[in-house]
Amino acid sequence: MIEIKNIEKYYASKGVKHYVLRHVTTSIKKGEFVSIMGPSGAGKSTLLNILGMLEESTYGQYEFMGEDVTTLSERKRIELYRNHIGFVFQAYHLIDEMTVYENIEAPLLYKKIGNSERKSRIADLLDRFNIVAKKDLFPNQLSGGQQQLVGIARALAAQPSLILADEPTGNLQSVQAEEIMELFRKLNKEEGITIIQVTHAEKNAQYGNRILHIADGVVKDDVQVG
Amino acid sequence: MFKLNLKIALRNLWRNRGITFINIGGLSIALAAFILVMIYAAYETGFDKSNPNYDRIYQVGRSMQDLKTNYTPPPLAQAIKDNFPEVEAVGKMKSGAFELPLFTNEGTVFTQNFLMADYSATQMFKIKPDYGLEKPKGESVSLFLPRAYMQTLFPHKKDNKPELVGLASKSAGQSGEVIGSVFVDPHSNISFDALYISNDLGKGEDYGFNNYQTYIQVKKGTDIYNLEQKINKLYQTELAKNSGNDDRFKSTTIFLDPLKNLHLKPKTGSDANYKVLISVSVLGFLILIIACINFTNLSIAQAAKRAKEVGVKKVMGAYRVQLAIQFLTEILIQCIAATVLSLIFAELVLPGFNSLFLVNLTIWQSNSSLIWQLPLILFFITLIAGIYPAMVLSGFKPAAVLKGNFQTSKQSYWLRNSLLVIQFSIAVIFITGLLIINSQLKYMRTQDVGFKADQVIYVKNIALFSDPAIFEPIREKIMKISGVKSVTVTNSIPDGSKLGTNTYAVDAKKELISFLDVDFDYFETLNIKLKEGRPFSKEFKTDAVNSAILNESATAKYGLTNPLGKTIRGCDMDYKIVGIIKDFKAQGFEKAVEPTIYTLKNPCGNPKTMIMIKIEESKMSETLASLKNQWLNINPKDGDNFRYQFLDQLYGKLFQKQEQLQSVFFAAAILTIFIAILGLFAFAKYITNGRIKEIAVRKILGASDLQIMKLINTSFFTMVILANLISWPVAYILTKKWLGTFAYRIEMPVLPFIISALITILLTIITVSLQATKAVKAKPVDALKYE
Ligand SMILES: Nc1ncnc2c1ncn2[C@@H]1O[C@H](COP(=O)(O)OP(=O)(O)OP(=O)(O)O)[C@@H](O)[C@H]1O
Ligand SMILES: [Mg+2]
Repeated sequence: MIEIKNIEKYYASKGVKHYVLRHVTTSIKKGEFVSIMGPSGAGKSTLLNILGMLEESTYGQYEFMGEDVTTLSERKRIELYRNHIGFVFQAYHLIDEMTVYENIEAPLLYKKIGNSERKSRIADLLDRFNIVAKKDLFPNQLSGGQQQLVGIARALAAQPSLILADEPTGNLQSVQAEEIMELFRKLNKEEGITIIQVTHAEKNAQYGNRILHIADGVVKDDVQVG
Repeated sequence: MFKLNLKIALRNLWRNRGITFINIGGLSIALAAFILVMIYAAYETGFDKSNPNYDRIYQVGRSMQDLKTNYTPPPLAQAIKDNFPEVEAVGKMKSGAFELPLFTNEGTVFTQNFLMADYSATQMFKIKPDYGLEKPKGESVSLFLPRAYMQTLFPHKKDNKPELVGLASKSAGQSGEVIGSVFVDPHSNISFDALYISNDLGKGEDYGFNNYQTYIQVKKGTDIYNLEQKINKLYQTELAKNSGNDDRFKSTTIFLDPLKNLHLKPKTGSDANYKVLISVSVLGFLILIIACINFTNLSIAQAAKRAKEVGVKKVMGAYRVQLAIQFLTEILIQCIAATVLSLIFAELVLPGFNSLFLVNLTIWQSNSSLIWQLPLILFFITLIAGIYPAMVLSGFKPAAVLKGNFQTSKQSYWLRNSLLVIQFSIAVIFITGLLIINSQLKYMRTQDVGFKADQVIYVKNIALFSDPAIFEPIREKIMKISGVKSVTVTNSIPDGSKLGTNTYAVDAKKELISFLDVDFDYFETLNIKLKEGRPFSKEFKTDAVNSAILNESATAKYGLTNPLGKTIRGCDMDYKIVGIIKDFKAQGFEKAVEPTIYTLKNPCGNPKTMIMIKIEESKMSETLASLKNQWLNINPKDGDNFRYQFLDQLYGKLFQKQEQLQSVFFAAAILTIFIAILGLFAFAKYITNGRIKEIAVRKILGASDLQIMKLINTSFFTMVILANLISWPVAYILTKKWLGTFAYRIEMPVLPFIISALITILLTIITVSLQATKAVKAKPVDALKYE
């Protein structure tokens, strides 16, 4: 599903290149559950953003589902977001002015899903994540864990084949974190959704089946688990 | 999707309701001003527009060496009709501001503005008497009156038969026939309050009688320039045939003035209306721009808040266009609300506006173009106010905004500040302008104008008093009334009217100067100071025959060092100069006092009919009452009605235009500064909100409240100073130009510049500090807790 070759990323300041990523080469197949780990500032988020096409690498090749991403137009990229990629953020990033229901509905509207189909999908998700009672509340009326559930529900609404999550449990207590991780494993196992997450906790990494260790912008280790 | 966006937009607006309110309020006030300007402009440009031949009617005028006039000789019209097939119709009119009382047993009216028109002219201008118009037969003349006059004269009239009215006075025993009533369109260049329609006008008068207005209506597609040349040629040949080789007419040429220009910028009159319209339009536009700037600025200031939403929506698959449309929708909603409010505001201030501009406008006329213009304006202000924020907000890169600590770019920071500076610059220009207009008007009100109009009444009169001997008995009778100090009669009162001009010669020096025909006690009645010599006096028998008094300007023009006793020749008369008076500003402050000769006898002047009486202030009301009671006895030829006006009020009308300008500037200055401050208020609120964390940290680090206040105020302070620096030269140039239109004016004052700087700086500091105190007073822990 994802093929990257010799990805490099640097920020130039005053003529000096500060490398964040160097020679990152890897491939991620459909159905994998990959955790990216490493010390702070190692470049994990940067790598994830490049995989999610939010940032561009300064050098290297990237193919997503057989398509060359570097030459992709903005429109095509947004099509990919609509149909294949769901994002989950550490800071949840729900839209404050929208209710839980509307937050989940938003991606479906962009995807132009019909009214009844939309309603049934949202009802499904609310049910599945046990937040039916909260559907008319605004994000600031929810706990962190609940917000993240909504964030995940929103990412799933468009039925993506890939979920990208940057420290999805970073702001949560361990009980809530476990719940989220359980959910990820289930999505991966039962629905075959590919998941790439950045995490600091070894425990969370164990839910997946592969760990990429990054340090100083270089992939140090690539291990299979479970 | 649209519904959701709408919902979010409304929630957003509600959450920031303070700022939303300011935004909408400011815009609606500006829009109200703009709407008023628009309907005013539509009115001013719409004179006679309802005439189907509007574009094809021209006034014929004559251009002489130093003046253009629309007075044309009567045979010209027929000659044009006969010679040029492209001219469909010609019409002649003649008007006069001659006051004539008309009376019945039921009531009396005074017609002030009679119009004589030939039948074809009434057809051309669609003047339709209420019961139709029959073409007058032969030499007969049909009189029509406005409906209001008919109502006064014949309150019980039901039929449409002609009626008899008394003319002038009962004792005169004259009467005339009124055919019926006629609607006088106030929105037409042709105005009158008594209309005489005849088959033809000016029969038997030749090319020397330049007393008529001539109008022509041409066929579609006529080359007007070409026609103008042809008519000019025709005029020259006709003239040569009629008046031989009179040099005076040789240089006279014909021009055509389109009907659509006659109200605003006639070639033969002042284009003051046009200038007022243009400046008022510019004002309205500027105010609207300032209000739009508020939108742009606040929307950009909100950017940080909305950035996350943009980022998230983009990764969920929103196109940039969709987001841009969403932001435009939000601004559109506010603009719609502002438009509705603005119509209410406009309705509220319309009466004041009408009385200021002496018009009678309504917002919803049946044929109002506002109905299609409003949505158009709405569309444009939404674009102006919204396009930049929409571009900026929708352009955010998700990776950048979702990472956290997101800063809006330097670029928009510059834009925001420049826009604030522009707003304040415009406000400063108006404040400075207003203050300078005030100073000039104050100068005009307090300056010595060289004569005293107070307690002088001008009595309207239709009897002719050109010969002092005829007026003498009248004067004697008036003087007998207690409280009357002096009485005189003249052919022009000092209310700004232009005097007639003629060529007079002293020694060999010929000059074109103004002349005024007066009677004894003219200078005494108006308290005009004598420089040398003596005023006219009954003791000198020759004064009624050939004495003249000049003003200082006239002696200067002739270069006379020792004028008394010299002879001045003009109008086939030899006058002896007996006195020199000091200049007095009979024409106000705009025109320099004209060199003028004052005489008792002048064959070239109009008859003297205007009586002026100086009355003791303490006996004013009783004296007026006695005059009224005894008028029929005092001046039987004038008729039954004593009609008067106070001269100081008439003279005060000369200031009206400037007072109008003052009011417009007052409104503009208040509006611009108000809207700019409104914007600043909301903007400062955002800025301080955005800096609450910074302020908290600084306080923890030991900054005092005052230091923080200074910190917040500094950038705004710099901007206002900059705005002042920018607008001073602009205001200086504009006001200098305005002052240049006065012959008598103040020196350019410095104070207004300083005052407007102080006003803007003070208002800014107050506005910003109001916001800053809140941030400063907040406990640092509260600001930092939620991070
Ligand atoms: N816009 C930028 N300009 C310059 N350097 C940047 C920029 N964005 C990120 N960096 C640098 O790139 C490096 C990697 O950042 P990244 O956010 O990927 O780290 P991370 O591994 O996710 O760390 P953490 O675990 O703390 O989230 C850091 O050293 C950071 O300073
Ligand atoms: Mg990170």
